[in-house]
Amino acid sequence: MIPGYRLITPNLGEFFWNEAISDELLRFQLAIKNQVLEDFGDTIQETRIGFQTLSIVWKTAIPASELNSWLESMPKILMLKSLSEDCWKVPVRYSSSTGRDLETLAESKNISVADLISLHSSVEYRIHFFGFLPGFMYLNGLPEKLNTPRKRIPDLSVPAGSVAIGGSQTGIYPSESPGGWHLIGRSPIRLFDPQLIPAVWAEPGEKLLFTPISEKEFDLLIRQPKLPELR
Amino acid sequence: MIKDPAYLKILKTGPGTSVQDLGRIGFSQFGVPYSGAMDHKAFSWINHLLKNKEYDAVLEISQPGFKAEFDSPTLICLAGAKVDCNLNGKPVSSFGLIPIVEGDTIEIGAFLQGSILYLGIKGGFQTDEILESKSWYQGITAEYTARKNALIPYFTTQEIPSFTNSKAKWNTSGFEKEAINVYPGPDWELLDKKSQKQLSEGSFTISNLKNRMAIQLEELIPNSLPELATAPVFPGTVQLTSGGKLIILMRDAQVTGGYPRILQFPEESLSVLAQKKPSQKIRFSFLKV
Repeated sequence: MIPGYRLITPNLGEFFWNEAISDELLRFQLAIKNQVLEDFGDTIQETRIGFQTLSIVWKTAIPASELNSWLESMPKILMLKSLSEDCWKVPVRYSSSTGRDLETLAESKNISVADLISLHSSVEYRIHFFGFLPGFMYLNGLPEKLNTPRKRIPDLSVPAGSVAIGGSQTGIYPSESPGGWHLIGRSPIRLFDPQLIPAVWAEPGEKLLFTPISEKEFDLLIRQPKLPELR
Repeated sequence: MIKDPAYLKILKTGPGTSVQDLGRIGFSQFGVPYSGAMDHKAFSWINHLLKNKEYDAVLEISQPGFKAEFDSPTLICLAGAKVDCNLNGKPVSSFGLIPIVEGDTIEIGAFLQGSILYLGIKGGFQTDEILESKSWYQGITAEYTARKNALIPYFTTQEIPSFTNSKAKWNTSGFEKEAINVYPGPDWELLDKKSQKQLSEGSFTISNLKNRMAIQLEELIPNSLPELATAPVFPGTVQLTSGGKLIILMRDAQVTGGYPRILQFPEESLSVLAQKKPSQKIRFSFLKV
């Protein structure tokens, strides 16, 4: 799980892994991120995580040779913290009116809508990183049965809060946007608020569970928004 | 300096007028793009001439047909594209400082060279700062594109601004420059030799699909590269889609993406790219890191 490192431009570098996406890989990514910030923090402008990458924007780049020998000494100093057991409960109204592709998707999978909902809401997903839109969480753990290629022609407008499936991923659109994923429901929870510090409530490494709610509960939460609770 | 609130009133504008500064650095961990002026070079030049702070906010204008009125005296500065510009109906240069009195109107006509004009003001525009930046971005700031009758706040000085009639020259050679410095991206090695050669030797055309998020090029690079696990992307990252489209990500680009990242422009190339117009040609001039 010790990554390679490459310098892309004089001030942009990247750690990369060839291992498959997993909790274990995320654990290493977060550990290396913390260690690199601890050891070289003064010369780093910011870090960004992808599924198999960790980018470093340098103020002043550490030479690649120095970083590679730093990596070689890594197993000795790396304190591997286990990933968080914290799991956020995110309420979702699964229905045709809140997720326009719910029925077609169930049909294409040869399962009932109820089965689709219970499959999607019975798994704890791991939060890997934020990207795509402010507050959008990249989640890992979608049951294989629900993997679905993205739409060939993306929708021009997906409503904020939409819960959707695309490829081997599932996620929540934090704001209205075009999108190519299949919509199965909507969450009344706000995912990003630039007036709050921090602007999001979850952190990479934590978990997330979708919990089905009734139309009544959905309407109530839309009118009186709440932040999600930990399980 | 007495800081009295004053307003620039937008009388007319095309799409793509926004307030920009150096952008939001350090919030990509929440999925927030950098944003910030497309042409940092012109942006910095303006704040330098105005003796502003280096991050003071300016107005970014990317379409002809802009007209606005100042309700109080100030000093402004134009830089970036070379445009037809009138102050109260009389032609003025679109490079450098212009003293403003109450009621002055400025009008921007044709873009003669370059594609983005900056209008800076003494002390900077005073719109809300959110996540440490005034740069407009949908979903973060209240406004993301200036509309007719919008009021953009600034501080008037109420005194005749000290103003050296400096003849500082703005170097416009970048507008015609075709060879633009670039580095191979993290996924460059996935390309076959033929595509690498095409990218190294070919000439590419800026398409009409150009905005603050990205610039799409007209030429295609047919490929059979796989879609990759989502990875960080930055302004200057060039993505290659499965359909062969080349997309240069710009300041408002999302922070992660799934397409192969075949090239990476360094910061200084972004200002040159920002000023390119649709149908202009560029070539990739490769650098070694």
